[in-house]
Amino acid sequence: MNWTHFVYFALPAALCWVGGALFAYKNDAYRRTIILTAFGLCIFFAFILGMWISLERPPLRTMGETRLWYSFFLPVAGLIMYIRWRYKWILSFSTLMALVFICINLFRPEIHNKTMMPALQSPWFAPHVIVYMFAYAVLGAAAVIALYLLLRRNKAIMNVSVMSLCDNLAYVGTAFLTIGMLFGAIWAKDAWGHYWSWDPKETWAAATWLSYLIYIHYRQHKPSHYTIALGLLLFSFILLQVCWYGINYLPSAQGSSIHVYS
Amino acid sequence: MWMHPWKYIEGWSICTGLFITGMVLQLTTGSIEVDMFHYPVNLISGTVFILLLLFLHIYARKVVILQWFSGFEASITASVSLLVLVIIMGLTRQVSSPTDLSSIGGFARTGFMQMTTSWSFFLLFIYFLSILGLVILRRINCFRWKDAGFVLNHVGLFVALFAAILGSGDLQRLRMTASLDTPEWRATNEKNEITELPLAIELKSFRIDEYPPKLMILDNVTGKTLPETQPKSLLVETYPLLSTLLNWEVAITNYLSEAAALITEDTVSFVGFQSEGATSALYVKARNTIDGTIREGWVSCGSFMFPYRSLRLNDKESLIMPNREPKHFASNVIVYTQSKKIKKSLIEVNKPLSIAGWKIYQLNYDESMGKWSRISVFELVKDPWIPAVYSGILMMLAGAVYLFVSAPNPKKN
Repeated sequence: MNWTHFVYFALPAALCWVGGALFAYKNDAYRRTIILTAFGLCIFFAFILGMWISLERPPLRTMGETRLWYSFFLPVAGLIMYIRWRYKWILSFSTLMALVFICINLFRPEIHNKTMMPALQSPWFAPHVIVYMFAYAVLGAAAVIALYLLLRRNKAIMNVSVMSLCDNLAYVGTAFLTIGMLFGAIWAKDAWGHYWSWDPKETWAAATWLSYLIYIHYRQHKPSHYTIALGLLLFSFILLQVCWYGINYLPSAQGSSIHVYS
Repeated sequence: MWMHPWKYIEGWSICTGLFITGMVLQLTTGSIEVDMFHYPVNLISGTVFILLLLFLHIYARKVVILQWFSGFEASITASVSLLVLVIIMGLTRQVSSPTDLSSIGGFARTGFMQMTTSWSFFLLFIYFLSILGLVILRRINCFRWKDAGFVLNHVGLFVALFAAILGSGDLQRLRMTASLDTPEWRATNEKNEITELPLAIELKSFRIDEYPPKLMILDNVTGKTLPETQPKSLLVETYPLLSTLLNWEVAITNYLSEAAALITEDTVSFVGFQSEGATSALYVKARNTIDGTIREGWVSCGSFMFPYRSLRLNDKESLIMPNREPKHFASNVIVYTQSKKIKKSLIEVNKPLSIAGWKIYQLNYDESMGKWSRISVFELVKDPWIPAVYSGILMMLAGAVYLFVSAPNPKKN
C-alpha cells in the first residue's frame, strides 16, 4: 500500500460520509446515518492500516501522514457528537473539513519517507499523536463555529444552546489536549530523561493549553459575555496552529526543536 | 479600584506589578540561580509555601479581600499573564547557558531568552501556583463528590507543577562516555565538570541496525540535494530494482551492504567485506528520461575507512548515497553498583535502565565511526521527585477523562 492507492480509499470513504451527512437531516434515518458514516471510517482506516503495515511503522511522522489521521478523526468526532447530542448539521461540517484535508493530501502529496529515527520508535508515539489529532479536530470544529458566530453577530443566532455547543467542543478538545500532552511528558521521560524541557513545540503546546483553560474558566465566570469568549476560542486555535506547524516557520524555533516534521 | 469587591482590574494590576518587579530584579541582579535550590532548601521552602497558603486560606475567613484570590478574576488574570510570558518565550529564541547571551547584548538583559529562570516568569509562576493552591483549599473545604473532577484536575496540576519546581534543584543529568571493555564511573555535568558516580558502566558491545541505503540527487554547484525545498530520495530495499528519481530512470543491479572500496589509479570498485570499517555500495545504471544519456557506476556513502563515492550524471547533477540512517542502536553493558550488585543489560533509545536510583539512557555514539563505534554515550538521570510529578500527572489524566465525560449536556438540562 502506498500513496498512489489513497484515492481508491479516500473517494469511497468520502462518499459514505457525504451520504451519512445527508441522512442526518432526515428524521427517521438515525441508524442509517451512523452505519454509513462508520462504514466510511472503516474504509478510510483500512488505508491507514495498510500504510502502517507497508511502512513498518505508524504513519504519523510526516505532515501528510498526520493529515491522514486528522481527516479520519474529524468524522469520528462528528459521529460521537451526533450520537451524543444529535446535532443534525455536525456531520456535514465534519465531512466538509475531512474533505479539505483529503484534497490537500491528494493534490499536494509530499515526499513520504519510510525511515523513522530511533527516538520516535516508542509505544507512546501513536497514542501521543493520535490523541492530539483528535483534539485538533474537535477544537477545529469549535473554532469554525466561533468564527461563524463572530461574523454573523447581529443576526441574533447567538443563544445559550449554540454557546453550550462551543463549550462541549472546548471541553472535549481540552480533555484530549491534556491527555496528549501528558502522554508526551511520560514518553519524554523515557526517551530523553526529562518530562518537560521547554522545547519550542512544548512551549507552544503549553500556551495553547493555557489559553483553552482560560476560555473554560471565563465561560464559567461570565456565561453571558459571548464575544470575548468566542474571541478566546479563536485565539486559542491560532496558538494551536503555531504549535502544530507554525513553529516550522518561526525563526525562534529553528534548529532547536526535537518535534520536527520532515 | 482596590475597593471591596475586587474585580478584574485589581487582578491585572497585581500581575503588572509582579511583572515590573521581576523586570527590575532582572535588570539589577540578573537571572535566578537555580543551583541554590537543592535539598534541603527546596523542601524547606516548599513546606513554608504550603503553610503560607494554609494560613492565607484560614485568615481569609476574617479578611474578605483574601477571598478574591481564590475566585475567577484572580485565576483568569494570573493565567492570562502567564500565557503572555509563555507566548513571548515561544517567540524568542531560548538559550541554555548564560555565555551564549553575552554576544546578543541589550535584549538579553530582559531575561526573555532564558525565560524559565527570569524573575518575571518566576514571580508570575509562583503567583499562579499560589492562586491554584488557594482555589483548591477553598473547594476542598466544602468537598462534595461531584467536585471529584475539579479536585483531580486542579490538585493534579498543583502537585505536578509544585514537584517539578522543587525537584528541578535536585535533578542530576550527567553524561558518560563508555569505551569497550573498560568500566567507567566518571561522568560530566552540564557545566562539563567531572563527577564520580556510585556506579560504573562497562560497555561490552555496541550495535546499530541501519535503514536500507537511499539515493539522492545533488546539485554539483550548490552542493544541495534536489529539489531544494523538498529533496526526493529513493529507498533501496531490494535489488535488482528499477525506479525513477527526478529525471532519471535508476536501475540497481548490485547491492553490497558491507563492502570495501578497491581503488586503482583510475577506477574505484567495491567488493564484499565483512569486517570493521565496511561501507555500503550500490551499482547503479541511470538513464536520463529527457535526453536518454546513460551513466553507470558505484555509489557509496563511505565510512571512516573508505571514501564516499558519487556518480556524476552530468554537469549539473550527481547521484549520491547519504549516510545510512540508524534504525536502532543499543549497548550491551554490565553495571556495577556500590552495593556489589552486578547487572547485565541492554540499553536502547526509549528503553532506559533503572538502577540504584539512576536511570541510564542511550544517548549517542561515535558518529564518525558510525556502526563501528567503539564508544557509547549514556545520559544518567537522577530525579528523586519524579514519583510526586507522576502522581500529579496521573491525577490530571483521570481529571481529563472526567472533563470529557462530564462536558455539559444541554439535552439533559
